[in-house]
Amino acid sequence: MQPHKDTQKFNERVELLKSKAKEVRHHIVDMVYTAKSGHIGGSMSAADIMTALYFDILNIDPNKPRWADRDRMILSKGHVCPVLYTCLALRGYFPVETLKTLRQFGSILQGHPISKTPGVDVSSGSLGHGFGQSIGIALEGKYMKKDYSVYVVLGNGEIQEGLIWEAASAADKYKLDNLVAIVDDNRMQNDGFTDGIMPMDPIDKKFEAFNWEVMKIDGHNMAEVLATIEKAKAFKGKPVCIVANTIKGKGVGLMENEQRFHGKPPTDEEFQIALKEIRGEV
Amino acid sequence: MKLKAAKVPTRRAFADRLVEYGEIDPELIVFDADIGYSTYTHLFGDKYPERYFNMGIQELNAVDTAAGMAAEGRTVLMASYGVFLTMRAVEAIRSFVCYQNLNVKFLSSHGGLTPGIDGVTHQATEDMAAMTTIPNMKVLAPADTESARRSVDVSMQTPGPCFVRLMRDPLFDIYGPDEQFQMGGSKVVREGQDITIATYGDMLFQALEAAETLAATGIEAEVLDLYSMKPVDYAAVRKSVKKTGRLLVPEDHQKRNGLGYELAAYCLREYPVPFDHMGLEDTFAESGDYYKILDKYGLSAAHIVERAQNLIK
Repeated sequence: MQPHKDTQKFNERVELLKSKAKEVRHHIVDMVYTAKSGHIGGSMSAADIMTALYFDILNIDPNKPRWADRDRMILSKGHVCPVLYTCLALRGYFPVETLKTLRQFGSILQGHPISKTPGVDVSSGSLGHGFGQSIGIALEGKYMKKDYSVYVVLGNGEIQEGLIWEAASAADKYKLDNLVAIVDDNRMQNDGFTDGIMPMDPIDKKFEAFNWEVMKIDGHNMAEVLATIEKAKAFKGKPVCIVANTIKGKGVGLMENEQRFHGKPPTDEEFQIALKEIRGEV
Repeated sequence: MKLKAAKVPTRRAFADRLVEYGEIDPELIVFDADIGYSTYTHLFGDKYPERYFNMGIQELNAVDTAAGMAAEGRTVLMASYGVFLTMRAVEAIRSFVCYQNLNVKFLSSHGGLTPGIDGVTHQATEDMAAMTTIPNMKVLAPADTESARRSVDVSMQTPGPCFVRLMRDPLFDIYGPDEQFQMGGSKVVREGQDITIATYGDMLFQALEAAETLAATGIEAEVLDLYSMKPVDYAAVRKSVKKTGRLLVPEDHQKRNGLGYELAAYCLREYPVPFDHMGLEDTFAESGDYYKILDKYGLSAAHIVERAQNLIK
């Protein structure tokens, strides 16, 4: 039996995104290695989600970064900007070669995202504040009747901030159904496993208790990522939180679930191994 | 100088003008954090319910939300008490409002020791230090009804963030309705040639009272109202001290990192004169009547008289 035409089209989108995600991971490793600094682990765990957003979901125009009706995307876990910068460069907001200047003096690619960089809606990086600002952007959209969706990517460590729950309650009060929060739940944070530092489970129940609609996914299953974000976008009446089960360092075996790769670059040897693995040469 | 008792506190005067301003700028949004009946922003909310957002007791997120809306090109006024804005929400103000240079204006009530009876947790005695230190932030500290009203216009018409320090209780009025105010401006409220007393906000009245007492002893004090705390009107300070040769700065704030530090550094660099400075001496105050607290912590008119006399000796 032939697959349904829509199913076939969906599968094609998924395959395209899967191959794009490899490219994104390649650049993440390369830019952090070149900069000798940057947050690689959390960039890799968010890579599939960010790829789905930037290469399929988001209604954006790289030629008009401030176009009023564009979808908004706030990386609240701003330290993983290597994945954001990669997506922006590959979408054409600035040349791909710029990625080599990450964190360097004079670069438009600052250590944490700033709104002066083309494609970055608001500055973020001090944890929780991207989420807070996303509430204002969604309020503006909903109450001033603007037709855009707001996506915000949070970290599982980040949600330890009290500010997150202030923002979550505000999103409930104003029924911000134009807002989709995605928690990149890679189970880790700077100092180790979240369970040992400050447990936040059950994340889904917490957001449910704040009257959010909650969806749970495998954050590395591209079909699930894509279908769920589309479902969240269409959901009406409440803000939606997608809790994405992910692996820190995903895509490079030696980096997966390795605390060292939260904020440290790979060695020369690790770099070579990582690139080969991403290219599928091992 | 004739002081008239003010009918309303400066927080109310500001909020009244804000309601009028809602018509001038039909896009203006107002945020409060569950003290709308104290900051009087509820008056704006009553008239423009669709443009009023009460964010509850979450100053940090309220400022971020205001920043998010302002990032969309809108002007947002955020109201709360000074100590909560400048302490609890300071990071949102610094890194997201000021760094992004957004049009968020702050109605900051309960400035200095004016909420005397509320106690130390509600007294904003480090607010000027925090706000004047952040790049892109402008700071106003009006003393009376008219200057508080005009602070709405001045802050709204100046691009970028602006913080306005207001008071809890009605004090006095000095300015008429035709008085003009501007960002970076100041007023010579009383002319004199023996000493310059430069101050802002509620301390202006203590300074004026002190000046009257000093006049009775033959000392003519010039009193400057530096209602624009940042940018400061250095030219006016220079002009005055060039004439008087002495500078005294009393302020309802910690001495450290207040106006006195700013003007001392300025004078040392540009025009050194004998100088003295009055404020909280690296201490917290306490709960109680505003005037009794001012006196206990060395900030009442009587103390200004004494310090001025010492400076002239």
